[in-house]
Amino acid sequence: MSSLSEVFWSEQAALPLVLILQLLPLFGAAAVFACKERPTAVIAGKIFALAELLLCVVVVSHVNPTLQALQLAERFAPLAYHVAVDGISLIFLLLAALLTFLMTLYGMSRGMISPGRLFAVLLLAETGLVGMLVTLNVAWFAAFSALELWSVIYLLRRWASSRAEIQALARFVQYQVFGWALFAGGCLVLGWGHAEATGGLWSFDLFDLIGVIPVGKFQTAAFYLLFYGLAVRTPLFPLHGWLPNMAQHGLIAVAPALMVGVKVGIYGMLRFVLPLTPVAVEYWQPYVVGFAMAGVFFTAALAFQQTNLRRLLAFAVVSHTSLLVIGLFSLHQSGIQGAVLLAANFGLAVTGMWFIVGFVFRRTGTTELHELSGLFERIPFLAIAFLSFGLAIVGMPGTPGFDAAHLALEASIDRFGALSTVATALGNVAAAGFLLWAFQKAFLSQARAGGHDVDKTLPMEYLVCGIALAAMLAIGFFTEPWLYLTEAASQAAAARFAR
Amino acid sequence: MTPPLLSLLVFTPLAGAASIWLLPARATRHAAALSMLLGLALAVAALVAYDPAGARFQLIERVVWISSLNVYYLLGIDGISVLFLPAVALLFLGSLVASWRAVEDAPRLHYSLLLLLQFATLGIFCALDTVLFFVFWELTLLPLYFLLGRWGVSEGSGQAAVRYFLIMLAGGIPLLLAFVILAASQSVPTFDLMALLAVSLPRSTQTAVFLLFLLGFGIKVPLVPLHTWLPQFSLAAPGSLTALIVGLKLGAFGLIRFAIPLAPDAALDLHWLLAGLGTVTILYGAVGMLAQSNLRIGLAYASICHVGLAVLGLASFSAQAVQGAVSLLLSFSLATGGAFILLEFLRQRTGSTDIHGLGGAAGTMPLLATGFLICGLAGVGMPGTSSFPGEFLLIIAALRSYTGAGMAALFGLSIAAGGFLALYRKAFWGPVTRSAVADASDLRPREWAVLVALIVMIVGIGICPGPWIEIVRPAAEAWAAGLVR
Repeated sequence: MSSLSEVFWSEQAALPLVLILQLLPLFGAAAVFACKERPTAVIAGKIFALAELLLCVVVVSHVNPTLQALQLAERFAPLAYHVAVDGISLIFLLLAALLTFLMTLYGMSRGMISPGRLFAVLLLAETGLVGMLVTLNVAWFAAFSALELWSVIYLLRRWASSRAEIQALARFVQYQVFGWALFAGGCLVLGWGHAEATGGLWSFDLFDLIGVIPVGKFQTAAFYLLFYGLAVRTPLFPLHGWLPNMAQHGLIAVAPALMVGVKVGIYGMLRFVLPLTPVAVEYWQPYVVGFAMAGVFFTAALAFQQTNLRRLLAFAVVSHTSLLVIGLFSLHQSGIQGAVLLAANFGLAVTGMWFIVGFVFRRTGTTELHELSGLFERIPFLAIAFLSFGLAIVGMPGTPGFDAAHLALEASIDRFGALSTVATALGNVAAAGFLLWAFQKAFLSQARAGGHDVDKTLPMEYLVCGIALAAMLAIGFFTEPWLYLTEAASQAAAARFAR
Repeated sequence: MTPPLLSLLVFTPLAGAASIWLLPARATRHAAALSMLLGLALAVAALVAYDPAGARFQLIERVVWISSLNVYYLLGIDGISVLFLPAVALLFLGSLVASWRAVEDAPRLHYSLLLLLQFATLGIFCALDTVLFFVFWELTLLPLYFLLGRWGVSEGSGQAAVRYFLIMLAGGIPLLLAFVILAASQSVPTFDLMALLAVSLPRSTQTAVFLLFLLGFGIKVPLVPLHTWLPQFSLAAPGSLTALIVGLKLGAFGLIRFAIPLAPDAALDLHWLLAGLGTVTILYGAVGMLAQSNLRIGLAYASICHVGLAVLGLASFSAQAVQGAVSLLLSFSLATGGAFILLEFLRQRTGSTDIHGLGGAAGTMPLLATGFLICGLAGVGMPGTSSFPGEFLLIIAALRSYTGAGMAALFGLSIAAGGFLALYRKAFWGPVTRSAVADASDLRPREWAVLVALIVMIVGIGICPGPWIEIVRPAAEAWAAGLVR
């Protein structure tokens, strides 16, 4: 059992950076909320989102990625506040900040109603995401998760305008509350276990819990509760029922991007489930991987059946999330590193695709595939961006997916053998299949007479997609810094399972 | 400090593609032509700079790309790849000329995609790092998907594009897996081809790697039964695009470059598989050709037939066979590539390449008909054309190692030659029955300039093959010597 270690913030930086990282979006949310619907609200929202992104970069510059320890740690015992970052959480943090920033740009270009309120909620959701990514306390994780879920539910409710949307919202709430309750139950089991072992001292801190890992059935119970709680959130086949409806009827791009753009479910498994229930993880590994492999193909097959672009993307998410879980549960350093990088890649790519679907919807008022045609002629840049994001999901060379998939393959050969690896990799071909099929239908097919009159690409749309595309290609061709950033942290995560 | 010749060569098309978007729209074709001519000049410069008597790999450029994975940006050429570079440059020029007036729909995008394809293709021939190779390998798919899906000439071209993309993507998986296995089996994971060639792997690993390579490259070659995409592709794509895909035998190059040298023991063990696949491919291609009425599909089958011969010859693992295979593949670039380009001229004039839509085309288009005959005869290995030396070497190698298969190959090649002549007769001779054929005009000066250049090379190399084969010889001998440990 490798124990955890940490480096306090005062040794690495002049300021408690992680605290600022959490407070900035919260403060931003309050400020934007206070501005009501004045134009300043919109500007303030963008500035706060950009500032958070820059702050993330500053945080990255203060961290030493070669250390296996958690860094920039902060503790405040009375509140059980305990935060720190490592290479893996930094990747997710950067992604969360980038996506939020892009969403503020996107929100403007879509011309939504009451943008001030939208931005306030967006920043609040970012607070929740950032909080989840930095905390080392499972109870705090659950609390931040609740905050983020509440923000998304509010978004869905506030901007809902039809019965279908309300239904999708109801389904969403049912699933998420259930998943959250499972996770909270898992936290209680862990805390209780700690109290049992130490004579009545309850704690939810990762550093405390790792010393008194529950044994036997307790561990299995904790594993199940935490894993399934996060599996609903991720979402993992077969617990993905909320996503397609929400993607189809919810606020385009913003709501799904907040839920699945940053894979906090995967992060939670890596941060808490793997270290706290190692025996159960190893025992249940074949089942988890088996389900994930089935999920890759089952959801890919479902994606082929979809007639709506938004639903299709939802199934694409479930399909590739299964790949992440396979990488993670290889319990191998390359696999974990690959899964983290893939998660970032998928998050960026699928959010980019969702943005484009939003842009298309603004023009045509529909995302039904049979009503879309010939979009390439009118919006070639968005079409090419859509295809590029799709290819990133497939792991084409030149996108971040390639090196990550390559790492995951290496781990998969090592742990599961070549045959299952080939089978899983074929899942990617299936994904390429339905994404290309959708692309062909919506963008490349001959424009039908009497079709929609489609506007040319707007500058803001160039900007949003351009930034996402540039980030993706830059990471794709210069993978080295990202590998460097995540290497030690994934070694630490895999060390527990060294064979 | 010598200039990085190969990088310049590889990146010239990319710069050309960028320049298309910077220059005014009417300069599009000229910018593309200029960058392709520059590419040709650089390819010739690389050929001149290459010293056949020197080291195995030359003009090496090495820059660290991803240090933690030990991946390099590593370019270099040897006697096997060096001649492919001018062939690529020439063929792309030919393809550009063939599509000169045909592309009215978004020409900027079309030509930048064509240049992107050239970039990736040149990269494939120059890359000596397996990851870099794979990047270039997969990068060919994107432009091809678009070129076929958007500028295809048949009803089902969109479907053909998706199908091609998916089949090739699936073919990439075994390749990537093989490269990962190769890298992981070293003490320090490495993707450097030269380092990988220097060590010998356990036999079981070799077998796995060889079979994965055979599957991955076999799809691209294409070997029967992995060939099903090719006839559909050649029907859906304009001839200018098919010329590139059929003319450039990337799959066979992959077998020569990676599959056999990296897993020599397994290749020697599985020689029967390689020879068997080669023979089946020859016979299937020949018989398949007889059944066609469309010249484009017929030529696709003829090329399947010939690439089968290259694979059969390779299975004898001799230096002569590699020389033969390389020179046959190169001759293909000229002959089949040229024939497809001529078919594109024909299609633009008459709207058809099916014998039922033609008939008597030689009467109205004598130059085109003559050129097509010469290219076609070179494609079936007529003596005096550039294909003959390679074919001769391969058949000798095959007869020596696998007498029965060699006889079958000879038989298959004769059928293919007969099949070609039958198609040719129906399309170009006889009375003119269609008004499209009667009204068609013969080649324009720009078109016959390409044709003359091709024919000069086909006949010139056919009559005087010595120098070309000599360039390949040292590398081929090193290749064959590397198999025996």
